Order: sequence, then C-alpha cells, then structure tokens
Amino acid sequence: MNNGGLYAGMSKAIVDGDGVRAGRLAGEALGAGLDPSEVIEMGYVPGLRRVGELWEAGEYFLPELIASAEAMKAAMAVLEPGLRHSGGRAATGGKVVIGTIEGDIHDIGKNLVAAMLQAGGFEVFDLGADVKLGSFIDKAEAVGADFICASALLTTTMANQKRLVALLRERKLRDKYMVIVGGAPASRKWAEEAGADGYAENAVAAVKLAKDMVSRRALGERR
Amino acid sequence: MSPTLLDLARQRTVLLDGGLGTELMARGLSLGECPEAWNVLRPGDVAAVHRAYFQAGADAVSTNSFGGSRIKLAGHGLEARAAELNLAAARLARETAPPGTYVAGSMGPTGKFLKPQGAFTEAEFESAFAAQAAALAEGGVDVLIIETQYDLREALCALRGARLTSLPVFVTMTFNAVPRGHFTLMGDSVARCLKELEKAGASAVGANCSLDSERMVGLVAAMRRETSLPLIAQANAGQPVVGEDGRVVYTQSLEDYIRFVPGLIQGGAAIVGGCCGTSPAFIKAMAELIPGSRSET
Repeated sequence: MNNGGLYAGMSKAIVDGDGVRAGRLAGEALGAGLDPSEVIEMGYVPGLRRVGELWEAGEYFLPELIASAEAMKAAMAVLEPGLRHSGGRAATGGKVVIGTIEGDIHDIGKNLVAAMLQAGGFEVFDLGADVKLGSFIDKAEAVGADFICASALLTTTMANQKRLVALLRERKLRDKYMVIVGGAPASRKWAEEAGADGYAENAVAAVKLAKDMVSRRALGERR
Repeated sequence: MSPTLLDLARQRTVLLDGGLGTELMARGLSLGECPEAWNVLRPGDVAAVHRAYFQAGADAVSTNSFGGSRIKLAGHGLEARAAELNLAAARLARETAPPGTYVAGSMGPTGKFLKPQGAFTEAEFESAFAAQAAALAEGGVDVLIIETQYDLREALCALRGARLTSLPVFVTMTFNAVPRGHFTLMGDSVARCLKELEKAGASAVGANCSLDSERMVGLVAAMRRETSLPLIAQANAGQPVVGEDGRVVYTQSLEDYIRFVPGLIQGGAAIVGGCCGTSPAFIKAMAELIPGSRSET
C-alpha cells in the first residue's frame, strides 16, 4: 500500500468532514500494521491544519469546523486503543479540564474548543457551563490535568477568568497547570492581565496553542 | 390614526435604543442572573432603563426579553415561566412609552444549535419562538425584533414563529468580517440572509452587534445592494476590553462612535440604534444627528 495516498485520503476526509471515511481509513491503516501515532501525525493532523487555514481565510465556518472535528473524533476512536497498546498517548496530547466560567451559561464556543482539542489528541474533561471556580481546580487535581481552559462569552463574566487564576495562586497550585482563556470578549492582552498562560482566538488556534505549550513545557521553558 | 413605526421609517430615520443588559448590570444585575427575571423581580429598574432611552430621544425601545425563549430560559431553570416573563417585559416597556413612541419585542437566539450541529429541530425552535412572540404581542408591543442572529436557519424559525402574530417583524443578523466579505458564524452571506428573510416576510432587515460603527458603514453598503426593505443598523461601541480597575469598557468612545453614524444613515440605514457598549448618552448624541427626531420636539 502506498502510505502517501492513504495519508492524503485521511487528510481529505478531515477537510471534507467525512467521519465515515475518516474512520474507515484509520481501520485500514491499523490493518496494514501502521503505527497509530504516525498515522495521526502524517494523515489526520495535516487535514486539521488545512481546516484551520480554511477557517482563517473565511472559507470555512462553524458547521464545517464541527464536521471536521467529528471526523477527527471518528478516526481517533479507531486509533486510540492502538495508541494505548503501544504504551503512550497521542504524541502531542495532554489532559485538559475545560468549562465555561462561573456565571456564564454560553457553551457553544467552549464545546467547539473541547471537540477540537479531543480531535487533536488531548484527553478532555468537559465540566459544562457555569462552572464554579473551585470545581475547575478540584477536577484538575483529581485527574492530574495539564491544562485548565476557561471560556467566557460575557464581558461581565470574563473577570471570573482572572479570579480563577487568583484562586489557583491562593491554593499554591498556579505553576502546576497551564491556564488558557478564551471567549468572545477575551484577548491576548486580557490573558496577560488575567495572569493566564495563553489565549486562543478560536478553536483551531486553541489546539495549536495547547500543542505549542506542551512542547515548550517539554523543553522546560515554561511560559 | 397615528403612523406605525414602519410609516415613520419612510418619513425619517428611526432611532432605536442602545444596550440594555449593560444598563441593568449598572443597576445591580449580577453575574449569572437571568436578565428577564428582572421583569418581575426588579421592574422599576428595567422601566428606568427604558425611560432613559426614551428621554434620550429613542423612537422605540426593545423589551427586556432578548433571552426570553423557553429554550434559552431553560439555562436558568425558568423555561416554565417564559410566557409570564415575556408578557411582563412587554407591559413594562409599554407603560414607560410616551405618546408617539413605540415598543419592539426583543427575541434573541436560543443559544443552542439546530441539527446536525446541535440537538434541536426547526419545529422545536419555531414553537419556542412562536410562544415568546405571542406573549410579547399580548403585552402590547408594536413590532417584534429578532436580534443578533448568527444562524439564518434559526432566524427563519424565529421569523415564522413571530409571523403567527399579526405584528410586523424586524430581523437583525450579526455578521463577522472575513477576507471575502461579511458572513454569520454559520457561514450565511449577507445576500443570502437578506433575500431569504425578505422572502419569508420580514418587514425590515439589517445587522447588529459584533462590528463597530466604522465597520458597520461598509456592511450597510453591502446590505443596501441586496434588499429593498428598510435597513436596520445597530453597531457595537467597538470591542470590550477590561480596564485597569477591572471594569469592562468598549474600545470605541462616544465621539468616535458618533462620527460614523451619518455614514450609516447616508449609506441607507433607515432604522439605527446601538448595541453592546452603547448607553442613553450614545442615543442622545445620535438623536441630535437625525433631522426631525424626538430630541428636536
């Protein structure tokens, strides 16, 4: 089998948002004895990257993004058991605790980020909307998370993102987690002001950011 | 018989109100609290905001029912009180409206997605919006305004539900600027939105939220080419940022916002008003730019 052709097909399945095809190709790859992490990196991740470009260019919108995330999830569902079997999780992965911040019930953007992170190989613990500040931290402690991601859609609730960071400091846990903030009113400047480690403009950027942060941390240069 | 709001829009530029949620916050609405609940818990405060907008020169105010569909209210566990809260919203605005002014029944998005992205069917959306529209109509609103819609399919569900009343229905979509034009979050183009809304019986169409008043001028020009209906433009006062003291401020000052209002009107907006970050002070300044507005009477 020509792996190049297979990988291109996987990428296209993600770009087309075709979960059935993405899953079937993942099965074929396993059947051919290919390494699941290589299949993800060479086949599916380029597709996700292309989806990100199309989104940035204003060619793709939310429905396409959701379909691509679903297709990626379908592929991951097939590949994941193999990843565990080979003794590791996805090369880029980490554990993410995510939720919409206390006082805010808007969860569309947060759901999308959660789906894309999951599609991108992260283990995601989604706490839903209107999540108490303490619950983010309790969950992160319980599962041994790498990231805490907090979304706020309202200018009035974004202040709670800052309070979340303050609470982490208060509990002497600030350096244990990488904190990412997002949501319509958030910005890079706000992330800095809130004392977060990162800010992502959209779901695609969030995955890229999280991966960059993981590799930077692996290199020991935090923040 | 006094002219309808649409009649007025044919005679001169009509002025709507500005931000409501932010004004309620200033009066103590707290984080996570349901704004629509204030129609029964703090009616005096809601009425005070309406009154401030009328005093500033608004021809019409929007009722405090933006999140009043039962699907949205379910997020606060208040879905069973949808009819009561919308009826109260309409009555409150009606009671504060001076003679010669109007009340628009506000209908915002459900916050949920239709299938396949979400769990809801079009029939479920339509029925929730129809119930909201009926309660607002019973409370005496003059028109219904379906606002801040980011999904044309949802806007059409709301429009169908709203048209079960005999009231005129206005619809504003929220568009983002992307490299190849203006699109909703779901990817609906300006042309497609305006054509379909017109076909489905909207009395006036337009845009609100997201864009500041400068960028709204460009969007008005794009919309003007696509419809012959009266156009509505309600821009944000820029983007929200958090100031030094932790308070939220918007990037566009009153002065900067107002600078582009004549451009909106000359570009063809027949009905203007504010959105996030605008206050009665913004509406007062806009009224001064509109010949024949209530500020001149």
